[in-house]
Amino acid sequence: MRRLRPSGAGPLAWCGILLATTLALYLFQQVLWLVLPFLFGLIAYYFLAYPMQRLMFAGLSQESAANITVGVFALLLVGAFAFMLPRFAAQAVGVQETGMRYLQGGLLLLDQTLRALEQQSRFMRDAHVADAVSSYIAVAGEGFAQNRLPSLMMSVAAWLPSMLLAPFLAYFFLRDGRRFQRFLARAVPNAYFERTLHLLYEVDRTTRAYFQGLVKLTVLDAVCLAAGLWVIGLSSPLTLGIITAVLAWIPFVGSVIGCALVVMVAATDFPGSPSIAYASIGLFILVRLLDDFIFMPLTIGRSLRMHPLITVLMIFVGGAVAGVAGLLLVLPVLGVIMVVGETLSIVASDPRLRARHAHARRLRWQAVTRDL
Amino acid sequence: MPYRTESDVRLFGRHDAHEAPHPLRQIKLFSTLSRREMPVVQALRHERSYLAGEVVFDEGDDGEAIYAIVSGEVEILRHDGGRQQRLAVLAAGEVFGELALLDQAPRAAQARATADCVLVVFFRADFMNLLETHPKIASKIALSLARHLGSRLRQANAGQRQDGHL
Repeated sequence: MRRLRPSGAGPLAWCGILLATTLALYLFQQVLWLVLPFLFGLIAYYFLAYPMQRLMFAGLSQESAANITVGVFALLLVGAFAFMLPRFAAQAVGVQETGMRYLQGGLLLLDQTLRALEQQSRFMRDAHVADAVSSYIAVAGEGFAQNRLPSLMMSVAAWLPSMLLAPFLAYFFLRDGRRFQRFLARAVPNAYFERTLHLLYEVDRTTRAYFQGLVKLTVLDAVCLAAGLWVIGLSSPLTLGIITAVLAWIPFVGSVIGCALVVMVAATDFPGSPSIAYASIGLFILVRLLDDFIFMPLTIGRSLRMHPLITVLMIFVGGAVAGVAGLLLVLPVLGVIMVVGETLSIVASDPRLRARHAHARRLRWQAVTRDL
Repeated sequence: MPYRTESDVRLFGRHDAHEAPHPLRQIKLFSTLSRREMPVVQALRHERSYLAGEVVFDEGDDGEAIYAIVSGEVEILRHDGGRQQRLAVLAAGEVFGELALLDQAPRAAQARATADCVLVVFFRADFMNLLETHPKIASKIALSLARHLGSRLRQANAGQRQDGHL
């Protein structure tokens, strides 16, 4: 028997992987109301998979372990909601006022900084940069409030019910994930079975590692930022740390929004001392650097095993094709399609596997036509 | 609760008609498992049907899974130059491809069905996961596997069988 070994995924397969990722992102943007609950359901699934495994380790069946895990998680969520609701309701009236106060604080800091720069630079003074920026922000803010904000609020309100799907999906992923895997495996011909099942395990491993890495990264980011903001002396450092760490799930844009948020709070809490706001920016840059060079390679980077050039390029492509949703989804989608594409190209290009499948089909045809 | 009705769970639920549980106890590797432990292993199995003459795996394939024969017969063949050498014929209850459970080495021989057969398949990834979630069950299987490999080694030393490297 002469065995021709497949050479692995070639440039054509890689073009297909990148094209499929771009197409998937475009399609996902069209059904974002389903994709986001699915994504949060997956995150909850991988977050809850470990406690469920501990229960199975204690001797419970998969079904009982899933019921208890999701039950306790749901109780905790309801408890947290019940605890937060009265506080939120009490402050709801003041939310808009507080938001406007922080926005004004941020704008004031920007104005002060630009005017200080104008005093240093004749070119900026001649160009009236501070006045130009202030009037631009005023016009843009008014336009946003009148044209974009109502539609944005409406779309967020329309999405909220679909987010209830997330815990529901997580429960069924936990309870029936293995059955679904076996259900898919039954559709695979014998010749490709072992290799393809290995693919399913790899997809599971990649997505598990990615989402578990994401949760670890968020916790590390939140702790570092909260500790730093507490040292600087900002109010609500933990809340700010958590919000900015979650915003960082969106590559580039999320970090900028998070930084702006922290600076606005710093400028409002300490209106007379811009050095606090600058210290917050410094802290943010420090945590970003820690994130990019230490935390990310230790958590998410290890899971995807992707070339940095492809990662950065695809983040830009994701943003161009599907906006903020594309930025958020591009890495997990690319990770899964990469594993599927690589393995499919290896399986499809293996002449021995194709020959074995053709042989098995001949045998089956002979078996069913023997007595005709 | 509507989910409990039989028709609702037909897709891949507990009424899994295509995968009616075969008694795994008849397979030597799982014979030491208790009645309570058996469903855990049942949940990990994949069941495949092969026709006589069909190749289960090839020499040189990446080994990802261990196979156990529920019914039928499987022969183990090695290609030595242009010559095909039959190393063993395995019957119901026996396992093959067992080294895949331990390492990722390529298959050392070809496995081919000599009669129509039903095989149950366990993947290494599932076994590794079992080590984490149910170490007692996994260690029982590992002990059975070690005994099985020991007996193969003794047989190979005695010159009775030559299929010690699957």
